[in-house]
Formats: sequence, C-alpha cells, structure tokens
Amino acid sequence: MKRTISRISPFIGILIVFGTWFVVSRIEIFSPYVLPTPEKVLSSFSKMLQSGEIFVDIAISFGRVLKGFLIAFVLAFALGTFRILVPAAEKYYEYILQFFRNVPPLSMIPLLILWCGIGEVTKTVIIVLASFFPMYLNIVKGFTGCDKCLLEVGDAFGYTQFEKFTHIVLPYALADILVGMRIGMGYSWRAIIGAEMVAASTGLGHMILLAQQMSRTDKVIVGIFVIGIVGLVTDKLFGIVIKKLFKGTGENGWN
Amino acid sequence: MAGIELKNIQKKYSVENRVINVLNGINLQIPRESITVILGRSGCGKTTLLRIVGGLEDADAGEMECDVEHKTTFVFQESRLMPWLNVWDNVKFGLKKQECDKMVIQSIIDTVGLHGFEKAYPNQLSGGMQQRTAIARALAYNPSFIMMDEPFAALDYFTREQMQKELIRLQRDRGVSILFVTHSIDEALLLGHKIVVIEGGQIKAEFMLKADNKERNLLEPEFIELKKNIIERLDL
Repeated sequence: MKRTISRISPFIGILIVFGTWFVVSRIEIFSPYVLPTPEKVLSSFSKMLQSGEIFVDIAISFGRVLKGFLIAFVLAFALGTFRILVPAAEKYYEYILQFFRNVPPLSMIPLLILWCGIGEVTKTVIIVLASFFPMYLNIVKGFTGCDKCLLEVGDAFGYTQFEKFTHIVLPYALADILVGMRIGMGYSWRAIIGAEMVAASTGLGHMILLAQQMSRTDKVIVGIFVIGIVGLVTDKLFGIVIKKLFKGTGENGWN
Repeated sequence: MAGIELKNIQKKYSVENRVINVLNGINLQIPRESITVILGRSGCGKTTLLRIVGGLEDADAGEMECDVEHKTTFVFQESRLMPWLNVWDNVKFGLKKQECDKMVIQSIIDTVGLHGFEKAYPNQLSGGMQQRTAIARALAYNPSFIMMDEPFAALDYFTREQMQKELIRLQRDRGVSILFVTHSIDEALLLGHKIVVIEGGQIKAEFMLKADNKERNLLEPEFIELKKNIIERLDL
C-alpha cells in the first residue's frame, strides 16, 4: 500500500494542476486567449507532433544547450583547477568573476549582438554565461573543501602534487562537481529563450517567441511544457548515467 | 640495530601569540626491525615527534640521521580511507600501477582478516575493519618503516587485543621497523621492544624490554614493576 502511494504520489500534484486548469478554463473565468483550454493545447501539440516541426525545434535547442553547457563545463573545470593549483592567482580575478556572476546574461544581449553577430556564437555565449557560474562555484567548493587528513595520506605514501590532485582532490570533489553540472544543465535550459531571442529561426525559444507574436497562447504553453519535459528527461538521463558510472561510491548528489 | 637517530629535535608552535615548545631537544635512537613505542599523555608532543620522523612536518632545529634509505608510511589514529574506493583499491592506494601484484594484495587482505570484504566500501565496514584496511594499505606499500599514531585508540577492547597480536606477528614476519605512539601503558608494555616515555616535550625515560613480545603477560611481577616505574616517571 505504502509502495503504491509513493509510486503514484508524484502524479497527484500533476493531476491537481491539470484538474484546476481544466475546471478554470471550462467555467471561462479568463478569456481563452489568456488561458487556452487543455484540449486546445493538446490539439496544437498533436498537430506540431504530426508535422514534425516540434522535433526539429527540440533537436536544435538541445544541440545549443549541450554545446553551451559543455563549453561552460570545460571552462569552469579548467578555471577551477587553475584556482586550486595556483591559489595565489585567485585574488587577481576574484572581483571580475563576482561581477559577472551578478550580471544577467540577458543584459549582455545588445553587446553580444554587436560583438559576435546574430549567429550561433551569440546564442552559445548566452548559454555559457548562464551555466558557467553555478558549475564554477561548485567545482571550486569541491576542490577547496578537500579533507586535509586525506591529503596527508597522499603525503604518507609519497604522492606528488599532481598525483594528490588526480587521486584525492578530484574524486573527493566529484560530488560537488556533479551537483554543479546538474544545476548548470538546468541553467542552460533556462537560458534557451534568451539565446533564441537573438535572430533565431528555429528552436523551442524561437517557437515560443513566434507564438507570442502570433497571439497563440496555446503554442506558448506547448513550448513551455516541452522545455520543462526535455529538461527533466535530460536531468534524469544524466542522473542514470552517473549512477552507473560511480556505482557504490555513495553520496554523489544524484541519488 | 642501527636505525634512525634523532639529535636535539626542537619544535615550536604559535597559538594565539603564545609560543609553545612542543619538543625540547629530543635525542633518540630508533632501532631497526623492532617496535619502538613512544608513550606519554595527551599533548606531550608524541604525535608531533612521529610526524617529524615520518616527514609530514619539519623540525625547527635538530638533525635526523638514517643508516639506510627508509621507505616510510603512516597509519593514522583514524583510518583515513578513501570513501570512494573499496577495500581492494584502498589497500593498493600507495602502489604504482606496475607494482600491483594481485597475489600479494590478496594475501595482505587475508592477513588482516578481511577476506571476502574486498569489494566493500569503507562506510559498509565497522571501525575495526576500517582500521585493519588502513594497516593493510600501509603493509601493501611494503615500507621498511611504519609510523603508527595511536592506531588502535578508536577500537573496542577485543578488537584492540586481536589487532595488537596481529601487529606483533606482522612485524616479526616482515621484519619492518615500527614507531608506535600510544598513551596506554599496557599497550606499550605489550608491544614495545623499546619504550620511550615523553613528558613536556622531553624524553623522561627509555626502557629496553627483553621479553619476547609474542607471549607477554602483564600480570607478571616484571611488568608490574615496569608499569610502576613508568607511572612514576610520568608524574601521574
């Protein structure tokens, strides 16, 4: 009984949201333009599925998110590693990093268009800006938080600085790195609308913005659902892969 | 019986603008292929001495001479295992890839009584098993000198007794030198070939024990006498 309840409990919340939506749109408190009915959204969704356009949009957005996410991860990892290998360097760039951490990537769009044009580069940069900081901060936290006692074990067994980094610091930081990657992935998806505001002709962000201009609220809702679901699925897939890779190592932030 | 010789080792720490002399001129001979026990109360400087001999800390002054090049390693008070590695991988933590001999590692794991637990992770083991893994890790490194900092302090009476016996056997079989720090007089009397009593950063007394540490009975008059003697030196 308990098991059945725990299995269906995630769906109860979803059912309540959809039920409320159904009832509210049925008694027409709001105009169908403000809140389209679930049936209307569903029929638009099935039309988009049949025509296949939604798949193209998903694939393109997914590609952009992945590209931005990977570049941001490599940058965050490299800078985080640099930060731990040359601790004295931190004070030289600390304020610059803190400054950009507080600047919304969207505010950079006018400049980015001027500097990088209206092509893919600008879109990628926006995603990189959005996902870099959570990953960088978590990676640094993982690296700097390494247990001194374990580092001493490395000394006791004659490890070099590099060996201590690869055998102790890196595995120790893994949990924080993975949490950072997970948050970074989420931020990448959240940045997709901003990225595709810039002269895009494809992608989920573009689809939503076009639907807004055409006053197609139903399509906007379809777009939001698709982004949410694709993000959720990516997150889960990520979790499964990492669970398989690091089986048995306990806490890694994905369980 | 030459081994490591310490000459006038000194060490100071500053804590909140106060300078504390932890070691005040330690002169000590640590013989090879035997167990030397450093005995003293908490804060007497015994761990600092061990860390200096083991190379984890530098002395402020003094010299350390070794007759031969020693391969040293540590067994700490806590097991300090890598939580992401299983017993097998933890045991071979100190080894380079080309040094890994599966038969040797297996035999060491068997020796410390962890057969069947090779795939277990530290959080699945009891405290005693974790400490035995840490000892196996030190042995697999094939050191000629092992520094042990109260390695059995966290263990219960029965496990401690068993581990002490195992340690005596291992030291004998492998002919390693051990520098063992403890605050337990009984443990020192059970294990040591040489007992060094430290108080206030200085050596108060040294005792050489002739009786075979394989079959010592601490209730014998000889050991009771020695224990009294040590207690007197410690001003307890």
